[in-house]
Amino acid sequence: MILHPGILALLVSSLLMGLITLYACGYGILILRRWDITSGSELQLALERRTYLISTVVRYLLAFQLVSLFLYLRVADSIYHLFTGAMCAAGTLSAHWLGYPTLLLKLTTFFLAGIWLILNHADEQGYDYPLIRPKYFLLLLMAPLTTAETVAQAVFFTVLRPDVITSCCGSLFNNNASGIGPGMASPPPLPMLALFYTSSIVTVMTGLRFYRRKKGAYLFAGLSALHFAITLVAVVSVISLYIYELPAHHCPFCLLQGEYDYAGYPLYLVILAAAVSGVGVGVLHPFRHRGSLGETLPALQNKLAATALAALLIFSGAATCKILYSSLSLRG
Amino acid sequence: MAHMIERHRHIIDFTLATLLRRKGKNGGLLLVYTLIIFVLASVLFFTEAIRREAMLVLQESPEIIVQRTQAGRYQTVPMSWCAGIGSINGVGSAQPRLWGYHYDRTRLANYTFMVPAQDPPGAGHVDLGGAVARMLGAATGDTVAFQGHDGAPRAFTVRKVLEQESQLLTADLVLISEQDYRLFSGVPADQATDLVLQVRNPREYATIVEKITRMHHDARPILRSEILRTYDAVFSWRSGLMLVIFSAATLAFLIFAWDKATGLSAEERAEIGILKAVGWDTSDILLLKFWEGTAISLTAFLAGTILAYLHVFHTSASLFAPVLKGWSTLYPSFRLPPLLDFQQVVTLFILTVVPYTITTIVPSWRAATIDPDAVMR
Amino acid sequence: MISIHNISKVFNAGRPNEVTAVGGVSLDVRMEQTTILKGPSGSGKTTLLGLIGCMARPSAGRIFLKQREITSLPERFLTDIRRTTFGFIFQQCNLIKGITALENVMLPAYPTGEKFSTLRGRAQATLAMLGVEKRAEAKIEWLSGGEAQRVAVARALINNPAVIIADEPTAHLDTKLSLEFIGIMRELKSRGTTIIIASHDPIICESWLAEQVVELRDGRIVAGATMS
Repeated sequence: MILHPGILALLVSSLLMGLITLYACGYGILILRRWDITSGSELQLALERRTYLISTVVRYLLAFQLVSLFLYLRVADSIYHLFTGAMCAAGTLSAHWLGYPTLLLKLTTFFLAGIWLILNHADEQGYDYPLIRPKYFLLLLMAPLTTAETVAQAVFFTVLRPDVITSCCGSLFNNNASGIGPGMASPPPLPMLALFYTSSIVTVMTGLRFYRRKKGAYLFAGLSALHFAITLVAVVSVISLYIYELPAHHCPFCLLQGEYDYAGYPLYLVILAAAVSGVGVGVLHPFRHRGSLGETLPALQNKLAATALAALLIFSGAATCKILYSSLSLRG
Repeated sequence: MAHMIERHRHIIDFTLATLLRRKGKNGGLLLVYTLIIFVLASVLFFTEAIRREAMLVLQESPEIIVQRTQAGRYQTVPMSWCAGIGSINGVGSAQPRLWGYHYDRTRLANYTFMVPAQDPPGAGHVDLGGAVARMLGAATGDTVAFQGHDGAPRAFTVRKVLEQESQLLTADLVLISEQDYRLFSGVPADQATDLVLQVRNPREYATIVEKITRMHHDARPILRSEILRTYDAVFSWRSGLMLVIFSAATLAFLIFAWDKATGLSAEERAEIGILKAVGWDTSDILLLKFWEGTAISLTAFLAGTILAYLHVFHTSASLFAPVLKGWSTLYPSFRLPPLLDFQQVVTLFILTVVPYTITTIVPSWRAATIDPDAVMR
Repeated sequence: MISIHNISKVFNAGRPNEVTAVGGVSLDVRMEQTTILKGPSGSGKTTLLGLIGCMARPSAGRIFLKQREITSLPERFLTDIRRTTFGFIFQQCNLIKGITALENVMLPAYPTGEKFSTLRGRAQATLAMLGVEKRAEAKIEWLSGGEAQRVAVARALINNPAVIIADEPTAHLDTKLSLEFIGIMRELKSRGTTIIIASHDPIICESWLAEQVVELRDGRIVAGATMS
């Protein structure tokens, strides 16, 4: 166990968020079981009031999960030298098999909280609570994930053991004490770059098609999700190389360091925003004829599609600039 | 969109006016909140600054240090080891070092005596660290006296006073010539405190260390990276421990905040009732409560952080440095170079603002869902 | 027109302290007319006003506002309707202490996100119409009873409501101030505002202000309701 202040902060915040999500989820179950919009009973009125509490909780969950996501990477980055052979955050995360799953769970809960808030927003536009059930089913899915994240993170930090000097023996050595950790496994850079641009163009095209003609919502959502994954791989495989200007430094986390002007924070925010709003378009689509949503949903979907497109273009533009003006060349 | 912004503006205006109208209650909360943040921030900033200082010191230190142990205790190293270890493939050079601690009984302070490899003072001369010079009241050219290992006082002339970027590095330092030091400390002429090795290729550390231990079974080679790691763990652990202790205080604060938030005064209840009756929605009241919490948290966070910054970097953490420094309460005083980074601020935010906010979610919601027709009953 | 069909409001349903505040009331309130709900205290007047004014939802029955059913709308829609359709005057003035009369008048409009300057202009105009513009910057605790009542009326009018709902407005006023209040209501009525007053004060009930007087007892209408 490493008693690092940042780790303590992460454990505290995850525990609190986990508990409050479970609490919200408890009322979510009650809402799913006893909801009856036509009734004027006191229970129904109390449940309607609870919906305000739950949406407040999820809003905070989204905000704090984002802070916690970045702090997790920062902490991993600031403790890597405790592990022989680790060169940056990537090394800390691979010091135990739970490192990456925890990161993935944090990302997933953030993502789901975003989707939940989109559903909630759509639901609030309708005067008959049109999405109350899908919304609370999604909440039921989120509760175990936040709990899993809390537990995984706690276990990860508890079992991490720094390689420190002990008084009984002089030097601790393991096999890769040479100080050069293996680079992150990644696909070849140039084909990956081509794939990234192809995927960007295709996603933007489907996005525009949806925006103009209201067609292909699911396609756009699916491509947004796929493009999210491709972008992350592309960052590891090739975009980071241009930013670091080093031909073999494949690391998605060093971007968050001051040496690279904290470029990672806006970049990852933009990628996340594009993915959440792009997928949001598709998540809303099946409900376009439900109840009172017919009037308000298209406008909301348009807004989401516009956000996703803007975020996609910003990221592709920023990446292209970086590649063009980087002193690194992969062609030679 | 413009409406949204105006709505926020109106509600923020009203929130601030409300906060100011209840100076007593909110002032008390703000004071305790600020104090908690101040204490936590001081612990964080201080340990982090010390850790960086230590790292800065170690960055200069050699890649491999060889010590000797006997019955598990450190011993001086025979000078004869130099030749053998120096001849190992990959070792650039092996130099003996002479250094040690000295406790000054009259002034109750600890000094570090050291024989520098480059430009050592001549016989009968010393260089003093800033804090030592201050303590002795000595300037260049003065004569200072230290009691040697045999109890006899020895006088030295001060060649110069050291001024360096890292105060931790030089504050308690006394540089002395080899000959004087052997007489002063009683280290025999064929012994050294430890050996330092220059190794150019990090890949060879493992083999070199292995060869040294095979050559001398009582040798204890230490890598710089290991020292860094150990220091880091110790400092992080220390500040973590402090945080755990202070989290009891945070907990008490949270209970206090909970109490404040749930125990809505009759006046506040009536006001929220009026607002709801005249046309405010539950979400408007939640927004009001959100801004209220934000205003309090932000003020306390900024005030606490700034105060802690001043406390740690301008008064050298005068309030609890003795507890935190730990290695020696007798250590001469020194000043820390100011430093603040994103991670510390976020950590502090998560440890204070997040729990406070989560504590107030449910009470705020309770307040916001007062029935609009409550004022009519 | 506001039509209510057989509405009831039960508190603490199913528990020993169950109370039926309103039990099966049907009533039509015509626009631009004045309706008075009369009856002893505890007869359900206030609860009925709350139901009409979208402050609470009925336990059973249906409410229509201009042919649109609003019975089971989510709270945020009800609030929206309440804000734009109704202005409320309460038994106590229910003004917020520590802020000025003008700010009190503007409060109901804050969530609508109107521009501050427009809002301020309208509030000042409303206070002027009621003859208390000189007291605009005064804190509530410095106002006399009559001034406070006028400020409360101004607050009810700030969002230009079609309907004014007043609950025992003269309960804490002396005869002179009560007559003044009736004067203000006449003025509003002449401008086409619908007024619903719950009161058992003879000054109001006998003021010839109302087209319709409904008498309630024990949560039921005992006299005077017109039904479409």
